[in-house]
Amino acid sequence: MEKYEKLETVGEGTYGKVYKAQDRATGQLVALKKTRLEMDEEGIPPTALREISILRLLSQSLYVVRLLSVEQATKNGKPVLYLVFEFLDTDLKKFVDAYRKGPNPRPLPTNVIKSFLYQLCKGVAHCHGHGVLHRDLKPQNLLVDKEKGILKIADLGLGRAFTVPMKSYTHEIVTLWYRAPEVLLGSTHYSTGVDIWSVGCIFAEMVRRQALFPGDSELQQLLHIFRLLGTPTEEQWPGVTDLRDWHEFPQWKPQILERQVPSLEPEGVDLLSKMLQYNPANRISAKAAMEHPYFDSLDKSQF
Amino acid sequence: MAANFWTSSHCKQLLDQEDVDKVPQADSDRGITPEEFRLVKIHMSFHIWRLAQQVKVRQRVIATAVTYFRRVYTRKSMTEYDPRLVAPTCLYLASKVEESTVQARLLVFYIKKMCASDEKYRFEIKDILEMGMKLLEALDYYLVVYHPYRPLLQLLQDAGITDLTQFAWGIVNDTYKMDLILIHPPYMIALACIYIASVLKDKDITLWFEELRVDMNIVKNISMEILDFYDTYKIDPQRGLPEDKIAPVMNKLPSKA
Repeated sequence: MEKYEKLETVGEGTYGKVYKAQDRATGQLVALKKTRLEMDEEGIPPTALREISILRLLSQSLYVVRLLSVEQATKNGKPVLYLVFEFLDTDLKKFVDAYRKGPNPRPLPTNVIKSFLYQLCKGVAHCHGHGVLHRDLKPQNLLVDKEKGILKIADLGLGRAFTVPMKSYTHEIVTLWYRAPEVLLGSTHYSTGVDIWSVGCIFAEMVRRQALFPGDSELQQLLHIFRLLGTPTEEQWPGVTDLRDWHEFPQWKPQILERQVPSLEPEGVDLLSKMLQYNPANRISAKAAMEHPYFDSLDKSQF
Repeated sequence: MAANFWTSSHCKQLLDQEDVDKVPQADSDRGITPEEFRLVKIHMSFHIWRLAQQVKVRQRVIATAVTYFRRVYTRKSMTEYDPRLVAPTCLYLASKVEESTVQARLLVFYIKKMCASDEKYRFEIKDILEMGMKLLEALDYYLVVYHPYRPLLQLLQDAGITDLTQFAWGIVNDTYKMDLILIHPPYMIALACIYIASVLKDKDITLWFEELRVDMNIVKNISMEILDFYDTYKIDPQRGLPEDKIAPVMNKLPSKA
């Protein structure tokens, strides 16, 4: 680890601290993600190993944060693993916050929203194309290079290659606000749609500068969603009433989605509504989203 | 296929036959021939397989473990990395990556039970954990492996010969006694296994193969390799290589200090 000079602690990751550091030889800025190893017990935690292998698999996309190397080290006689990532200066949460709070609150420029959403779709399409679900997409997990206007997906710790046959996933996965209704209702067989739902929520949040469904419990989260999109019915989502956590919910009528995102152009509202479909099978795929007319005005050649 | 093999690290790591067959310097210095090198890999693939039966993991985990094992020896010598330790360690790592973690102490327990008569095969938890770290470096953390099983099922379905599934699946299992997974894309291996199965079970699917527009020469060459392998080694599917054949080779390798 002599190769890197630690500059500052930038966060607390799932497995340990994250440092901003500099490669002494090249001057390149990196993020060091420290993984504590319980070597007495079972070596590298499987979750960490899975994250590393998935990152190795996906790292060649520009829209997934790049894993530069993995370094083994010892600290106080204990083995430590450092994941060396490229360093990006901010994340989408902080980026959006700066437009909401701060000295000069203003909406995000339309072209920035469009460009970020496109890059997000591209990154998600890349993950899904490799059989990997992210399962925890949220603004904090999207790193942003402000200068270059680049957005990258990070923290694939919960990502999992989905192989056939699909087995049941655990329930406690996506951060509530971005969690898809099928997950909230206890479905055990969810798929790429869970990430698309999150993308939709993030899209709306960039436009609104605040979360679309800010629930603070699973039930509250569902009620937030139902209040806006209407309580789902068997007709629009076959099988919904058979899901494990389905109850009799108050019957809400769908509200007009445009009102939640008044500054969004009609094509954007259309794309958003396709991402927020109740039936996961009807939700637009990341790849199809990239072809949506909303992006017609975007110069895609730059990506 | 949901997962994209073509842009994967697995695809980029495919090797030529000669690179795979090359005996590492340290091993050839010990008098290990290319044939003996191959025998050790067959023998240890069996070891992994038998150990996996004990700890009960899916076929996929076994396949990934064997792939790691074979990949390691395209980069490291058996002299330096004792195959008797590398094999269970690969199973240990594969079980983690494939999300069906087997505890190291369980592996150690079954190894002791299985190899009661040969203490050269017996290791402690600490050995497996330490070797695990070395192998991760040797594999450079490229751990996601694609296998022929999924394309096999899809292709059999497409060809309308799902009645051959069990037979062809067994052939795919046997390909892990060879280095094919390091050399060929998984779906080509699947096609070769389907080809063999269809010929042996008298199913004429020539037309289906023609419509696939794959290079049939490659499919046939892989098939020939598999059949040659059956012919050459005539391995007992339960016991593996006969003791008198493998023991002298294993004795050429240094055993643990």
